[in-house]
Amino acid sequence: MIPYLTKRLGLAAIVVMAVLLLLFSMLHMIPGNPAILALGTRATPEAIAEYTARMRLNEPVVTQFFHFLGNAVQGDLGQDVFSNRPVTAIIAERIGFSLALICTGMGWAVLLGVPLGCLAAVRPGSWLDRVTGIFSVGMIAIPSFLVSIWALLLFSLELRWLPAIGAGEPGDFADQLSHLVLPAFAIGLGWVGYLARMVRASMLEVLGEPYIRSARAFGLTPRRVVLGYALRVAILPTITLIGMGFGGLISSAVFAEIIFSRPGVGKMIFDAVSDRNFPIVQGGVLVATCFYILVVLISDLLIAWLDPRVRSSL
Amino acid sequence: MKDMVSRTGNDTLLSIDGLTLDFRTNRGRVKALRDISFPVRKGRILGIVGESGSGKSTVLWSILGLLAGNADVTAGRIDYGDKNLLTLDAEGLRALRGEEVSVVFQDPMTSQIPVLPYARQMSDILYRRSMSEAAKRAAAVDMLRRVGIPDPESRVDAYPHQFSGGMRQRAGIAMSMLTGPNLLLADEPTTALDVTMEAQMIGLMRGLRDDFDTTIVVVSHNLGLIAEMCDDVVVMYAGEVVETGEVHDIFHNARHPYTRALLECDPARIADVTRKLPVIPGDIPDLTKPLAGCIFAGRCQKAMPACVTTAPPLIKRGTGAARCHLLEGPLADPSWPPAPEVPTVARDTGTATVRGAAKGEPLLEVRDLNVQFRTMGALKARMNGVARPFVDAVLDVSLDIRPGETLALVGESGSGKTTLGRTILNLQSAAGGSVRFDGAEIGNMAERRFKPLRRDMAMMFQDPVGSLSPRKSVRALISEPLLIHGAEGRDLDAEAERLADMVRLPRGFLSRYPHELSGGQARRVGVARALALNPRLIVADEPTAGLDVSVQGETLNLMADLQAEHGLSYLIITHNLPVVRHIADRIAIMYLGRIVEDGPAAEVFAKPAHPYTRALVEGVPQPDPDRRRPPSAAIEGEVPSLLRRPKGCDFATRCPLARDACRVEKPEHRQLTPDRRHACLFPLIDTQDNKNKTETP
Repeated sequence: MIPYLTKRLGLAAIVVMAVLLLLFSMLHMIPGNPAILALGTRATPEAIAEYTARMRLNEPVVTQFFHFLGNAVQGDLGQDVFSNRPVTAIIAERIGFSLALICTGMGWAVLLGVPLGCLAAVRPGSWLDRVTGIFSVGMIAIPSFLVSIWALLLFSLELRWLPAIGAGEPGDFADQLSHLVLPAFAIGLGWVGYLARMVRASMLEVLGEPYIRSARAFGLTPRRVVLGYALRVAILPTITLIGMGFGGLISSAVFAEIIFSRPGVGKMIFDAVSDRNFPIVQGGVLVATCFYILVVLISDLLIAWLDPRVRSSL
Repeated sequence: MKDMVSRTGNDTLLSIDGLTLDFRTNRGRVKALRDISFPVRKGRILGIVGESGSGKSTVLWSILGLLAGNADVTAGRIDYGDKNLLTLDAEGLRALRGEEVSVVFQDPMTSQIPVLPYARQMSDILYRRSMSEAAKRAAAVDMLRRVGIPDPESRVDAYPHQFSGGMRQRAGIAMSMLTGPNLLLADEPTTALDVTMEAQMIGLMRGLRDDFDTTIVVVSHNLGLIAEMCDDVVVMYAGEVVETGEVHDIFHNARHPYTRALLECDPARIADVTRKLPVIPGDIPDLTKPLAGCIFAGRCQKAMPACVTTAPPLIKRGTGAARCHLLEGPLADPSWPPAPEVPTVARDTGTATVRGAAKGEPLLEVRDLNVQFRTMGALKARMNGVARPFVDAVLDVSLDIRPGETLALVGESGSGKTTLGRTILNLQSAAGGSVRFDGAEIGNMAERRFKPLRRDMAMMFQDPVGSLSPRKSVRALISEPLLIHGAEGRDLDAEAERLADMVRLPRGFLSRYPHELSGGQARRVGVARALALNPRLIVADEPTAGLDVSVQGETLNLMADLQAEHGLSYLIITHNLPVVRHIADRIAIMYLGRIVEDGPAAEVFAKPAHPYTRALVEGVPQPDPDRRRPPSAAIEGEVPSLLRRPKGCDFATRCPLARDACRVEKPEHRQLTPDRRHACLFPLIDTQDNKNKTETP
């Protein structure tokens, strides 16, 4: 277990390093002077000189990278070009909104998709199975930003049931929650379809296994056979899918945050890209990468916990 | 057919009457069971025997109401007590399952859920009992101890993958006996196990029947198991019961031609090893439109025109019955059934004759061959201070095969016999020793240089259907080796037809695909592929695995004919000892990667020198209820893991004759006679005695 964790964390460190290198070289691969790119063509020479000095742009590239790396390891991701505030502080105040959105989006998708997939697999060919099948494909096919726009138009503008933009008043939980509903619905909808299909497929496979027939032959109730035995095995590949799904949701969240004007990390990165505010872009992408690596690691550990065969091979 | 056997009577626990069942498939309705009737008598062990496609397992699953979704029961009843199981509702059936009727499954590797420990699986079975969790656990521990799981208090928390095959099947039996069922159904309970494990399971199940007074129904294609274990026998063929009776009557006085043929085809029964194996010609009939008359008429040696059109009468005898025109009525033949010694099945008349001892220089010479598998990475081994991070899968193996000779490599699973075969074919690298083919060293040769040699050495793979690409036609499959080895200027179609003729596969089959072939036909395609390049040596991995008794003989006869015609040498890798006796000139017995004994097959069988050889030879259940062995005859324990190779003799941990010296000193290979070797410190025959014997021809 300990060697496994060490290995996984070592691999994660390598991935983070690679991402850092990529982010850093992105800044230098864009043609032109980074200072002019950041400040615009009408910036004064003084402002450019000041920016170049502050960003150490006149030093050799390798030195710049190691400086960037050293700071990043210490939790210093640089300063916002405009406000001069530390990037970490800016990310810290926004990450909560993004996490809430991603987790709620995936949460409701799991709570609906997994049972739907189970029910469809237990009665293949039934009306429920067919409806689930059609809706799954439909939900997967519609991009989440379209769902966002439609949901916004219908529920906020037309029906006026839910607020359209922002994240709600700080401290007012009910208000924040009501602001969360539409974006979470929009980014989770496709995942209901993915999960339902995945669970259905692996459930159908597991229900045909000899050990399920054994459980039936020993007289276990259908409920226990499906939930206690079949789902216990069928859920394992689904957990991997959910882990990877968080990665997909990070990018869906960017759209949802833009459309609903939520002050999350996604919107922050989007704004920073348009403003050529590179430290913010670097910091935001780095945080998203770390989040993704962490979620995949957690899903792998969860599988090891649920599957003794995986556990004993660790 | 209500009168097949009396179903009234207090000694009947379960009675099946007129059970008729179809499977809806896209080929139409397969009439899988037709008018099945037989009783299961209380406290007895009933065996249902038949070949694949006979419907024997379907009968078992009908009793439990666990048939596949496309099954339609169209007629009949299954009475258990005062209930008809076929009309019982789901609730009623579930109350019965696990509590009154329980099951032992065929493959313990797949029939136990991998993610739950045995403690949980077993307490789940007891969910209907109002017992505390601690009491359920105690019951599970007790039952595991009863079936012979060592240290059950801690093993009850193990998961299935932590048990070996034999232990898993013991645990499977413990699970089925946990509730003390009245009726235990066993579906091919030993098919997935080795010979020594099989003998242990038979003993265990008979013991449980005596202790718990449980009635057992066992389904098997293994006549030895049926003879050794059962009191009553039901013989099924193509969805019908052709004969029922007490075990002694069936095995010594069979009345149906199919029963006779099945018994005669069993290689374990045939003492005469010089003649060719008998076969039942033809294939199982198409069950979408079965014959109006006798179902066996198409393959029966005694068939008359009326057999095809008129259903045979049911002729009772004692508690049993048989369904055949020969026994009674206008077509009765007073000379039927003939005495047991008289063969009723045609012996294949091929070109093969009595084998002479092969002479000449060895074609294949293996000397001190070692194969190692890495157990951990080099870095990890250094960190943990492991000097040799390897296991010896093959250890110091020496063997010779002369042109035209058949050497059988025999051992249980995990003995390294397949690894040895792969190493000889240079599919696995050797860690030491030499492999010489036709005088030239070929061990660890680079594939580029070895490729021309592959024409001379072919492989027949274990799984006849699984080793054929499902997307290629038989024609493409047979000519594939020719394509790989450059067949410029050769007419591939003509070659495919030549090879098909050679293995006696009708040319019409060339356009079929593997899933359209029966096991025996797929096996013949495998033989044709092996023969495509006119090899001199064929390595055959379990050539009869998965084949029915009646087809097994056909494959072996074909291999013998081809050997006689083309002077082929065979290395046959198998665990099937009765078959080995008929086809091998010499045998080598492997245990934990070492050859413990080798020599001429007949001599080794008649007088084994190594206790392991003797255990294997005696471990085969005899298809004769009069030759049952006491339960104590089975050797105990299981093949140890290669990671824990015993210090002295590899077999010392299981050997009934092991002495202190055996646990210390590793026995060297010793020459017993010029062509017999063994690796035992205290061989069962001493050298002097044997010398005298072999001098007299």
